[in-house]
Amino acid sequence: MNLRSRPNNLSLFLLCPMLLAGILSGCRDTATSSESTAPPAAVNAKFDRQILRDFVAAVVVPSNNQFAQQASMLSKTIDAYVAAPSATTLASAQAAWVKARAAWEQTECFGFGPTTSLGYDGALDTWPVNETDLKALMKSKAPLTATSVSKMKETEKGFHVIEYFLFGQDKRRQPTDLAQRDLQYLQLLGKDFASVATDLATSWSKGVEGQPAYQEVFGTAGEAGNTTYPTVQAGTQEMIQGMVDSLDEVANEKLGKPLAEKNPKLAESRFSLNTLTDIKSNLQGAQNVYLGSLPDANTSGKGLSVYIAQVNPALDSTVKQKFKVAAQSLEQISEPLETAVLNPKAAGSIKAAQSAIDAVRETIEKDVKPLVVKS
Amino acid sequence: MESLLKTPGRKPLRFVGVFAIALILSISVSVLLTNYLWTAPPSPFSGGQTTVDNRSSKGFGQPAPNLSNAELDLHIEGDRAFEATFVTPPAPVNAGLGPLFNNASCVACHVGDGRGMPTNGSLLVRVSLPPGQSQPHHDGSIFETRSGKSVAEASVSLGNAPPVPSLGTQIQDQAVFGVTPKADVEVTWKEKTGTYGDGTAYGLRSPLLNITLPNGNPLPANVLTSLRLPPPVFGRGLLEAIPESAMVDLAHRQAQRNDGISGKLNHVWDVRQKKLVVGRFGLKANNPNLFQQNAAAYVNDMGVTNPLFPEKNGAQEIDLKTLKAITFYTQTLAVPGRTQLDNPMVKKGEVLFTQANCAVCHVGALKTGNHPVKAIANQAIHPYTDLLLHDMGKGLADGRPDFEASGNEWRTAPLWGIGLTQAVLPYSGYLHDGRARTLEESILWHGGEAERSKETFRTMAKTDRAALIQFLNAL
Repeated sequence: MNLRSRPNNLSLFLLCPMLLAGILSGCRDTATSSESTAPPAAVNAKFDRQILRDFVAAVVVPSNNQFAQQASMLSKTIDAYVAAPSATTLASAQAAWVKARAAWEQTECFGFGPTTSLGYDGALDTWPVNETDLKALMKSKAPLTATSVSKMKETEKGFHVIEYFLFGQDKRRQPTDLAQRDLQYLQLLGKDFASVATDLATSWSKGVEGQPAYQEVFGTAGEAGNTTYPTVQAGTQEMIQGMVDSLDEVANEKLGKPLAEKNPKLAESRFSLNTLTDIKSNLQGAQNVYLGSLPDANTSGKGLSVYIAQVNPALDSTVKQKFKVAAQSLEQISEPLETAVLNPKAAGSIKAAQSAIDAVRETIEKDVKPLVVKS
Repeated sequence: MESLLKTPGRKPLRFVGVFAIALILSISVSVLLTNYLWTAPPSPFSGGQTTVDNRSSKGFGQPAPNLSNAELDLHIEGDRAFEATFVTPPAPVNAGLGPLFNNASCVACHVGDGRGMPTNGSLLVRVSLPPGQSQPHHDGSIFETRSGKSVAEASVSLGNAPPVPSLGTQIQDQAVFGVTPKADVEVTWKEKTGTYGDGTAYGLRSPLLNITLPNGNPLPANVLTSLRLPPPVFGRGLLEAIPESAMVDLAHRQAQRNDGISGKLNHVWDVRQKKLVVGRFGLKANNPNLFQQNAAAYVNDMGVTNPLFPEKNGAQEIDLKTLKAITFYTQTLAVPGRTQLDNPMVKKGEVLFTQANCAVCHVGALKTGNHPVKAIANQAIHPYTDLLLHDMGKGLADGRPDFEASGNEWRTAPLWGIGLTQAVLPYSGYLHDGRARTLEESILWHGGEAERSKETFRTMAKTDRAALIQFLNAL
């Protein structure tokens, strides 16, 4: 999926230089010729594959680990709430959900690899909640066990179902609202959630199901024998595309859709009224990829930013500045987004944030990408 | 010659002069052409002008770059529909799931617009009675399960794949709360071993199906089953735009080879036109066009009724606008361009691929014809398919006919983008049921018309096998 953004047309990239090369050298050398489309600086500066290795080591793996820790904390606070429902224990579980959510939303740019294929993303973050089936399940006497929960449909578990139980409609959950069966299910959901989050982190850091750690698969892009990422370019393109798609989704879907349809029910975290915070975390996640760091975990490596600063210092400053402007624009939207989309006076601030985020996307896609992804 | 000798002086001289110039010119052109053909790099434009330069996990999900802004908007609308997760009605958003289904969104099975995983949730089982044990014709009507729930089933064949009582033609092994799924499907894998010509051992696996009906009984032995892995969806508009005459021509040319490789067209039911037309989509080419393919997937795989396959009372859970948008989306997904064009191993692999006659069916160069969607019309493309049915041997046979496709026949899978498979969906499988864990295994499963090509690969030197695989990985 790639929503608003328009990919590079390969023909624009390759056709002209290929034709030229064809005329000049009998179509012998397309690799050299295609580089002529990039500015001279990019040809001279060598893209350091350390950037790919640091991307996984300083951003992806720590972000997933951080999320797994927060997921585990969420499960524990749910246990405490279920054991003794009170305003305090509920608030603690709600706060843990928000923290886990912030960690997760920062991983949005790199939801590829086992995150998708082994079903972790679906089990953790499917939207919307199947409220009809969920209510029927709670009214029923169907057995609720760890096994039955792990096999439950994705729309009946994960972030948003836990959110539904912890926050209720429009964040109106009272500590004693939930029936015993609701609490029983919530607790099982918390444990399943933490378990899946751990598996996800492990799949990248150590490998699961007999497969190698995915950080190795990605971190060795372009090395002999790597069939998944046979070129360094494929790896850098993965980094870039992840940022582009996430920023695109944030601007045009997460902000754009509820506003365009004036429908808070289209907001992603509508039970907790946390959608705007989700979006801020998404933006932070994209910035983490660009800078090669995870401030929340104090990790840092050689980011794309370092390379761009070498080949085009002005562009690096522009990207950083645009990230800053986008973050500031989100601060201008009055919380919560779920209310703001219905308020005509807030529409301007939402649209301004959309534009600011889309501007980051555009700069990365149009200016940064050609410098690091050469055909 | 004689006449030349008899003719007075200047004429033959003039002729010889012109002839010499023509000869020199034609030799030059010929040398140039030969030189070009030998040295020209393979085309990176796998999808013609719809090609994108993207070798990431998002490589199958890009819009064709030659869409107008209005077309891009429609593509994006279709993309949203493709991503939408359905839930049980009533619901404020995305209502319409079930009552019976295999999965809740298009993208859950066609991950990243590519294939699915060879695991429960993605895999589905088609069933039918043997031909002859026919029920009345079934062309998209409402099918009632034993529990009395209505389920629309679409695009099932006329006559030779009769629906199974209480199961229909597809096992939806999921259901909304309170409804019993049609059956429980368990897939296990049976291993076997083989050896390459150089003595190197390899392993192959094939699926074993354990299907249990709601009453606890196993599936009756006479029911034919076919396990299916969801195939990729990008580039399908281009395949829709290949003229039928080109497919007929390919079949004709293959028949003339007299070497046992001979594909054929499927003729399948077009629900809108209410007649048999050429089939293109689906693993046995049992769907005629993307509009019907998408509508059938909505109703069969997700239980979402739609304008082509509505409820008995005419009710529909998605409207025509959505169905048209998603059809446009699947018509206008870009094709990722080839990579590593100058890599010597890739070049060598391509030669070996052709020498092994793989390219007879996996046709590397085709042209699309006219199509209402301009972006995909009249494009020179490199899909590596002939869209024809071929007998692939007993090893791959499902024994379940589908329109004119026999139980041994499968439509040649397009190979464009195949090298991105593991980036888009790590650990996924290849072939119709995902049994092949690697490209090597998928070649080694080839039989029937492809037996000799398979043997050529199996008996190649190790470095040649590696080159051929590297070529596929660069597609």
